[in-house]
Amino acid sequence: MKIEGTYMVSAPRQTVWEHLLNPDTLAKSLPGCEKLEPQPDGSYHAEMKVGIAAVKGTYHGRVEILDPVPHERFRMKVEGQGTGGFLKGEGTLTLLGDGSETLIGYSGEAQVGGVIAGVGQRLVQAAARQIVQQFFQAFSKRLA
Amino acid sequence: MRTKILGERIKRKEDPRLIRGGAHYVDDLKLDGMLYMTFVRSVYAHAKIKSINDAAARSVHGVVDVLRGRDLEGKLGNVPCAAGLEGLKIPDHPCLAPDEVRYVGEPIVAIVARDRYIAEDAADKVEIEYGPLPVVVNPEKALEKDSPLVHSKFADNVAFVAKLEGGDWKLVENDKSLKLIKQRFINQRLAPASMETRGVIASYSSGEDALTVWSSTQIPHLLKTQLAVMTGVDEARCRVITPEVGGAFGSKLNVYAEEGVASFASKKLGKPVKWIEGRRENMQATIHGRDQINDLEVYVKSDGVVAGLRCRIIADLGAYHQLLTPAIPTLTALMILGCYNIPNVWVETIGVFTNKMATDAYRGAGRPEATYIIERAMDLVANELNLDPAEVRQRNFPSPKDFPLTLATGVDYDTANYQKTLKKVLKASGYSRLRKEQERLRKKGKYLGIGLSTYVEICAMGPSSRMPAGGWEFGMVRVEPTAKVTVYTGTSPHGQGEETSFAQIVAEELGIPFDNVTVYHGDTSVVQHGIGTFGSRTTAVGGAAIFGAVQKLKKKMARFAAFKLKVKPGELIFDGGKLQTADGSKSIPFGEVVEAAYYARQLPPGVEPGLTEQMVFEPPNYTFPFGAHVAVVEVDGETGEVQLRNYYCVDDCGRILNPLLVDGQVHGGLAQGIGQALWEDHVYDENGQLITGTLMDYTLPKAHHFPWFETSNTETRTPVNPLGVKGVGEAGTIGSTPAIVNAVVDALKPFGVRHLDMPLKPEKIWRAMKQAAAQA
Repeated sequence: MKIEGTYMVSAPRQTVWEHLLNPDTLAKSLPGCEKLEPQPDGSYHAEMKVGIAAVKGTYHGRVEILDPVPHERFRMKVEGQGTGGFLKGEGTLTLLGDGSETLIGYSGEAQVGGVIAGVGQRLVQAAARQIVQQFFQAFSKRLA
Repeated sequence: MRTKILGERIKRKEDPRLIRGGAHYVDDLKLDGMLYMTFVRSVYAHAKIKSINDAAARSVHGVVDVLRGRDLEGKLGNVPCAAGLEGLKIPDHPCLAPDEVRYVGEPIVAIVARDRYIAEDAADKVEIEYGPLPVVVNPEKALEKDSPLVHSKFADNVAFVAKLEGGDWKLVENDKSLKLIKQRFINQRLAPASMETRGVIASYSSGEDALTVWSSTQIPHLLKTQLAVMTGVDEARCRVITPEVGGAFGSKLNVYAEEGVASFASKKLGKPVKWIEGRRENMQATIHGRDQINDLEVYVKSDGVVAGLRCRIIADLGAYHQLLTPAIPTLTALMILGCYNIPNVWVETIGVFTNKMATDAYRGAGRPEATYIIERAMDLVANELNLDPAEVRQRNFPSPKDFPLTLATGVDYDTANYQKTLKKVLKASGYSRLRKEQERLRKKGKYLGIGLSTYVEICAMGPSSRMPAGGWEFGMVRVEPTAKVTVYTGTSPHGQGEETSFAQIVAEELGIPFDNVTVYHGDTSVVQHGIGTFGSRTTAVGGAAIFGAVQKLKKKMARFAAFKLKVKPGELIFDGGKLQTADGSKSIPFGEVVEAAYYARQLPPGVEPGLTEQMVFEPPNYTFPFGAHVAVVEVDGETGEVQLRNYYCVDDCGRILNPLLVDGQVHGGLAQGIGQALWEDHVYDENGQLITGTLMDYTLPKAHHFPWFETSNTETRTPVNPLGVKGVGEAGTIGSTPAIVNAVVDALKPFGVRHLDMPLKPEKIWRAMKQAAAQA
């Protein structure tokens, strides 16, 4: 499943970059995120409550930030598992802009397994889009 | 005049309790102290199990036990496979995966708890760490050299290769006058989706060292034997009881891991353990049907007579063998010539492991695939040579005088008159009028399609020498001291209606009221032996055993009666509640003969008291029911939607004992066969995730999808059993799928469409029409 899109936020690139890599902002912006704890190896341990179609569950897993190019781009790897099955994903976030606004581009591949795949497959893409939307909305509010 | 009961349209004895909700299914049964089991199943299609953390699950209040694969090692046998094929690879199939999972839905952990809610909650708390392994979903990719292996202990994913050859294939290849027609067919994976899911209660009693299992199964006796082997409980102390079964369609012709684990858990914990399958589990972990790729070549003469047929069958078996998994596609090869006497045949069947649930018997089991191949082939021949599909079929039918007939496949067909059923269905449907209507409508840009299917199936399974575990059936008839009659049969039904049809056989033979006969089945302690219900065998094999037992019983009763009447036993006729001489001059009421047999005050010489007789019927051959179907569809030129306008069928299942039961079987079968043609498709994505995991995503046919089915019959009796019956449980499913596809392809002829793979959803048809328009 491909997830890609862009989101415009009213903040300069440097601010956006700092907030994107700030676990506290991320945790508060991610819908259903209950925990996002930095680990000694540089990754994060995450716990999230997600509901897709009839499948609501708690997922826990790892978030890794890879190949960061400050103020420009980084790769993100997510692996989670929970009551509804598992989700795995990898993608790239890019920041564009040189003034008071920044365009965040995201593009990645995600895979779901278990009950969410069997029950919610038709709705997974829409649900993922919604989660991303909600995240950016909450995220830009925090920037403001 | 004799009382007429056989052949009459008698309402089912079963229906009042089913309609009023008075029937008892496994889930209706509650035993004292009963525990509930649930399973944690794999979310990966292929992975190592790196670790299992069940501490949180164990700590849930009300959880009694948590079982893993390693807890069963050496204590509970593997899931059995009965199919015996030369060179067959049989992978170990433990009831709970100990270290590696190979399909989504494979059970890993079993939770036993005080109630189902607790068990389900605890299952959510089990943490399994997986190490994902490469997945193979497509059976053709699984055959490639560098494919991931489903079972690393085997060198490749090929479970077996079976070849079937007949006639002289060289002759065909060297005959340059023959036209070669090629086509690939996909027979997609289906979910049996019975209304009642699987369910089991196991109750072990340590005092008696006895195991009683209630299971929603088609094969209580075979299950009893297998559970004895798996659990180590002495078979004499094992009992399987099958209460009402709410549908199965072949999917409960099996021994499942869950039945084993429930038995094990009950034995370990000393309490009854119940497991009822959820719908999602049913979609994932109850066997699936079909799933074949067929590459067909037919060599045809200019007049439409087929000289040779070659086919390569790739059968997707899934990850493990269930009871008959590898045997099912071999039936496709066996029946691939259909009702045509094609002299040369060559079939190669390759059974392939993939990371999916096992396929196995689903209504028709291998024969719908064969019928689809050959019936689509006949239409391709007609299309190629610009002949009418009915005419092509006529030209390839053997004459009724040719029977019994051995085909190039080596199969011996018993009796048939294919011309008669075809003629009758063409008349019933107004075939030539339909063709004219089609012409007219095409000119108006409307797309009417007329589809034919003339099928033959292999039923009444079967001669023991050709069956995996015996093909006979047991029947027993007892006249009780009150003159009521009890019938015992080993064919444990799941909707066949034999409480009615078997009572008809016995009532007719004994000349007593139908209501005086009660049929028992499905309890291994009550019915001494049995094979089960599958392969359209209930009446033709199980009914034949009842008929045989009742003949023995009549002989014995006649001896008691003759002794009293002072006539010869052979002179007596059973009718109207009496045993009488042919001229009616001497008679004795049925009840008085019963009294004589039980009170036994004056026994005829050499006759034992009592009136119980039994028979094990061993069929000398299979039977070969056949039929002709016509489907009339309208395809919407804008949307690609298919409207099934009419459906006509003439089925010949031999002698008909109860037309109502035959109609019921045909109606249900048609719904499922048409379901495959138009809607059903059980889909895994490339990662082996089942994406049609609910009935929201998997389209089952509903009543509103169908017109009234115009059913009728011809009756060509078989000499294979004394009743002359052939079987009808799968006829509708087998005959209808190609009729529908032939009709839709026929409708799309103006677009130059030659073939489309099932299911024929509007989108697929719309694309085909758009493509044709773009090319024009």
